[in-house]
Amino acid sequence: MLRVELTTQLLRLRTLIALLALAAVPVLSGLSFASSAGHRNGTQGGLYGASPYSALNHDMASLEFIGPLLLPIVVALLATAIASADRDWGVLRYLYVAPVTRARLLAAKLAAAAVVTVAALGCVLAAGLGIGTIIFGWHPFHVIGAPDLGIGATIGKVLAATGYTLLCLLAMAAIALTLGLLLPRGAEALAVAVAFVVVASILNGQAVLHAVAVTLPVHYWQNWVGLFDPAGASGLGLGAAVQAGWIAGCVAACWVILRRRDPAA
Amino acid sequence: MIQAEELSKRYGRRPAVRGLSFAVAAGQICALLGPNGAGKTSTMRMLTGLSRPDAGAVRIAERPVSLGAPVLRRVGVLIDGPAFVPHLSGAANLRLLWRAAGREWPPPGLDDALDLAGLGAALGRRVRGYSMGMKQRLMLAQALMRQPDVLVLDEPATGLDPAEVRALRRHLAARAAAGATVLISSHQLAEVQLLASHLVVLNRGSLVAAGTLDDLLGGAGSLEDAYLALIEGSDRAAR
Repeated sequence: MLRVELTTQLLRLRTLIALLALAAVPVLSGLSFASSAGHRNGTQGGLYGASPYSALNHDMASLEFIGPLLLPIVVALLATAIASADRDWGVLRYLYVAPVTRARLLAAKLAAAAVVTVAALGCVLAAGLGIGTIIFGWHPFHVIGAPDLGIGATIGKVLAATGYTLLCLLAMAAIALTLGLLLPRGAEALAVAVAFVVVASILNGQAVLHAVAVTLPVHYWQNWVGLFDPAGASGLGLGAAVQAGWIAGCVAACWVILRRRDPAA
Repeated sequence: MIQAEELSKRYGRRPAVRGLSFAVAAGQICALLGPNGAGKTSTMRMLTGLSRPDAGAVRIAERPVSLGAPVLRRVGVLIDGPAFVPHLSGAANLRLLWRAAGREWPPPGLDDALDLAGLGAALGRRVRGYSMGMKQRLMLAQALMRQPDVLVLDEPATGLDPAEVRALRRHLAARAAAGATVLISSHQLAEVQLLASHLVVLNRGSLVAAGTLDDLLGGAGSLEDAYLALIEGSDRAAR
């Protein structure tokens, strides 16, 4: 069933366009900073300021740029499609009579959502690393206001940042998958998922709504950036726990929706 | 092979099927007849596990049927019209629906099913560009390629030309002669009269009559006359 889900989604033109759009962002930003190669990016600080120093600097800066909005939206697009496309096309009834059980169907959808989430993140990282290597070259990871990172520290922090971001994106995929199973049409699920990201991001910026914001996965998505800050990262453990909680809650909700819904209703 | 026992189903406050019982044995071709809204498709959905009966039970080959039940491996289904992944080819869709149940390609009856579908080179084209008739033939190939013991086909002749209808009739007759159980729903009564050995007639969700074709035809000249008399009698009784 996983192969079925991946065949139907990864071969879609819109999926390929979405992944290409993700890859285009690091490429275009790399080209725009090409004249600053080896130097600080204007007066910018943090990862953006250090982006032209090395391929990995550019990679992490690209992830910081694309992480809060475009990347989650593409993940939502792919996950809602995995959840709802077979129903939208009418193929779901033929899968059930194939026969495929609800448990197998859900397991395949969860696995497919995880695979496309990895693919989406991989597109950004691969494109950032590729264009960064060509334009900025391989150099020690530069941190503005601190000594360059050693090889071991660089590998550890990059892997931690990637893993944390992947967990955050999996939470987004789980939310989108749940909406895709819950709502009648994939387009409606995508609209609600995108609205969730946007509204949650707005809420996250309102100090008066802090008590609400801390329950939302969006609140923690950029915590990994602190790994490359001289001040250090904070809240990674809490952030990971909140993402895991959302994933667990969504998987349970998916199962309840599939169990309760009569596919012919 | 197919047993429906006291099946009832409501959609909201509207009863779709009321206390329906019938059985179709191996080697029989049974036609489920009734006017639009009689409950034919609702019944077929329950028979294939796609809809949970509010009351009653379905058994196929003595096994209970539910959503995704293992016994459905022995059933070929066409229900609610054809449905495919539009950006994949016809061949890729057949592979996808076969492998979804964890089976190795190719299915045992693929060649015969593709002969009947007669799609030729179009099998390699995306289904998005298929006509209604081509989609119907591909869906029939999907149902038949498993060489099922039981066939549940909702309006199988929709969109087929006369030659294709005749080829389908011969194929289903051969499958029944080989011991398969065939249940079809159709409004094409002349075609049903040529194909079916048994009939189940529904109206307003309830059973009106069930039996062999010959018994239900009685003295009527055609199935159309017998069917309309049964439905009108049922309507009068309901009033």
